[in-house]
Amino acid sequence: MKPLLHTSALRGAMAAALAGAALLAALPANAQLFRSDNAAPSPPAVAAKLATRGEMKGIRVYEMRVVRRNDVLVVEADFNNTMNDDRFVYYRFKWVDAGGMQVGDGEGWKQLKVMGQQVQTVKAVAPNSNGADFRLEFNVE
Amino acid sequence: MTPTTTHPTRTQTTEPTPMHAIRRTTLLALAGLAVLASGCETNKVSSPVVRFDRQTTNYGDAKAVELVTNEFGSTDLQMIAEKMTGSLLETGIFQGRPTVTISTVKNKTSEYIDTTNVMNSIQTALVKSGKVRFTRSIQEMQAGVDELTRQNQSGLYKQGTTAKVGNMTAAKYSVEGELTSIVKQSSQTKDVYYKFTLKLFDVSEGTIEWQDEKEIRKTTKK
Repeated sequence: MKPLLHTSALRGAMAAALAGAALLAALPANAQLFRSDNAAPSPPAVAAKLATRGEMKGIRVYEMRVVRRNDVLVVEADFNNTMNDDRFVYYRFKWVDAGGMQVGDGEGWKQLKVMGQQVQTVKAVAPNSNGADFRLEFNVE
Repeated sequence: MTPTTTHPTRTQTTEPTPMHAIRRTTLLALAGLAVLASGCETNKVSSPVVRFDRQTTNYGDAKAVELVTNEFGSTDLQMIAEKMTGSLLETGIFQGRPTVTISTVKNKTSEYIDTTNVMNSIQTALVKSGKVRFTRSIQEMQAGVDELTRQNQSGLYKQGTTAKVGNMTAAKYSVEGELTSIVKQSSQTKDVYYKFTLKLFDVSEGTIEWQDEKEIRKTTKK
């Protein structure tokens, strides 16, 4: 009887493994990669301007400054590395007009090294006066 | 030959053993995984593209960060153009849509770099901003003179439709640029520091009205 009990336990484990595999297959790729860190989240007003991809690995944007200077929108954002490891951030600003349409051809992606516990400020200027809003797109490597 | 000797396996299979049960479960699990895999495969759709070989060529993001080597690349060009354009627009020097012309762009690095490309990107961004008007540069002037000559001296065009000679607007400002580099190399590291300097001169007064720099450091570990 003992071996039979073992078999049923194994069968259960196999079924669980199958169910797990099915669940993993059903999840989108991004959901599998995403793991949250312990850093405090960005304030809601800042978070609304962010378009992030994947795991943040301790990188947060806590502050952004926006000003209209000589009829063009100027933005500064602070990348905070809340961890001790150096990180590479790939970022760009995306400008949109009052109707939500993209302004300009889109900025080039930039690589930024943010050392452990460092704050790095990035700045961008809208390509013309139509730029009424923006999004900061980034991912962390 | 007795039935037991001719069908030994049949007599064994009638009695389930733990080993057989495990094998059956494993087979079931494998079959399940195969179904999952085949399900993923059937979800694939073809793309509207004509290609010779899938592995050889693909279009990439023209704005992506290029890290192939540490020589001057597309990302450097884009970063310089963006920084200079942003700085010029931010200062508000272009109030009243003044006329500007591109003067010289010196390449003082050890690399061959088409600096016209950098200036073209800056000019395109500034023209699209609508804040400034560009006049023909020295390099572009001959084509303009040729067209004026053709219209006015060939006798091919109706009177009153030809562009008048002597109506060109002179540039209020002239843009001059310079790209320099410092290269340091050891057995394991190559470090390149680029500096692009752009100056906006008032042509009539000869004064510098605006100036900015873009620094780029690229380090490669071998």
